Amino acid sequence: MSRERPDPDEPEVTAAEHALRLLTGDELRDAEARLSSDPEFAKGVARWRGRLAPLADEVEIAAPPDDLWRRIAAALGAASPANDNLISLRRNLAMWRSVAGGMTALAAGLALVLALPQRPVVTPAPVERAAASPMVAMLGDEKATKVVASWDPASRQLVLAVAGEMPSAPAHSHELWVIPAGGKPRSLGTMGGGKQMHMRLADALATLLQQGATIAISVEPPGGSKTGSPTGPVVASGALSAA
Amino acid sequence: MDEPASSHPNAREELQRLLGQVAVKDRAALKAVYERTSAKLYGICLRLLRDEGEAQDVVQDLYVTVWNKAASYDANRSSPITWLATMARNRAIDRLRRRRVPTETIDVALGVADERPSSFDVLERAEDALRLHRCLEALEDKSRSTIRAAFFEGATYSELAQRDDIPLPTVKSWVRRGLMRLRKCLEQ
Repeated sequence: MSRERPDPDEPEVTAAEHALRLLTGDELRDAEARLSSDPEFAKGVARWRGRLAPLADEVEIAAPPDDLWRRIAAALGAASPANDNLISLRRNLAMWRSVAGGMTALAAGLALVLALPQRPVVTPAPVERAAASPMVAMLGDEKATKVVASWDPASRQLVLAVAGEMPSAPAHSHELWVIPAGGKPRSLGTMGGGKQMHMRLADALATLLQQGATIAISVEPPGGSKTGSPTGPVVASGALSAA
Repeated sequence: MDEPASSHPNAREELQRLLGQVAVKDRAALKAVYERTSAKLYGICLRLLRDEGEAQDVVQDLYVTVWNKAASYDANRSSPITWLATMARNRAIDRLRRRRVPTETIDVALGVADERPSSFDVLERAEDALRLHRCLEALEDKSRSTIRAAFFEGATYSELAQRDDIPLPTVKSWVRRGLMRLRKCLEQ
C-alpha cells in the first residue's frame, strides 16, 4: 500500500493513476473524494489527462453509421430550445467559473464603453410600428443578477446597469449579444469599464430585441469576437420580458 | 506537414469557434462539430469497447453532453479536440466498468465529472505528441506496455494483473515507476 511509506511523489502518482482510470475499490473512492476536496490533486489529474491526451491520436478513426447524427438530433429535440438555452447557460456558468482560474471578479463593475458593431446593417425594418412597451432583462447566473438591461423599443435605447460583480479576465473584453428565440447570436458590441451604458440600436438589431430574446455577455478576445459569434464563456444572460 | 487535421491550429480555432456557438444553442454548429470530430471519438470508443452498438450509444451521449456543456469548455485550458477525446475516453471507460463490474464501482465511476485536461496542452499538440512518444519510448518495456494497456483498453490495475498473471504489487510498481519517469522526461 502506498500509504505505508510517505513519498513526495505520491499525490502525483495517484493523480496519474486516476487520470488513467487504473484505480478500483477503496483506492478509487479515496481518489474521488480527494478530487473534490483537494484542488492541487484535481489540477494534477487534469494535468495528467493533458499529458496523456496525445496518445489518442494513435487510435484509428472510424466513421459512425449515418443514422447516428439523427439519433443525436432527436435526443436534443426533447428539450424546448428557449428555456433549455437559458437554464443551461446559467447552469454552465458555475462550471466554467470554477474552471477559469485566472478570472477575478471585477468588483467595481464593468464598463461600458461601446464599440459599435462593424457589421453592416442589412435589413432596415419598421420598428416604429412595434412601439411596444419597454422591456427588461436581468442578466445573471444562478446566484445573482449582474447586469440589468432595459430596452425601450420606441426610442431604440438600450440601457445597461451593472448590478453585481462581473467575473473578468485580464486582456479580455466583455461582448454583449442578443439571441432571438431560436436564432443565432448577434453582437451588440463590447463593453468597457463603467457602471452604466446607453446605446441606441440600429433598426436591424432593434428588431431582434423582442420578448423572449436572450441578452447575454460573453468573454472574448480584446476588441470582441473575431468571428461574429461568441467564442468564450457566457458570464451572464437573461431573457427580455415586459417591464 | 503531416499533422492530423485535428491538431492544425486553424482546425482548432474553427472548433473553438463552433463550440462557442454550440454554447448558445446553435444546432448547426453542433452538427459541424459532429462532422469534424465524430470519426475520431467513435474510433476511441470502439477501441475501448470493441462493440459498435455500445460505442454508438456512448458517442450519442457524448454529443448530447457537448450540447449541454459546451459553455464549460475553456479554450485557455485545452484544445477542443483534447477536451472531446478525454471525455470520449472517460465515458467509454465508464461504460466498460458498468459492463465488467456490475455493482461495485458504478457510483464512483459515474462521479467522474471533471474531464477537462489542463492548460498543459495549449502548447502545440503535435509537439506534445512527439515529446510524449519519445518519453514513452525511453521507459522500460514493462512500464510502457502496462501504461499503454491502461490508456487504450481502459484496464484497471487488477485487470492488468489478472490478464498476465502477475502479482498486483508488481504491476503497480511498473506503472508507477513508468509514470514518474514519464513526468520527469516530459518536464525536461
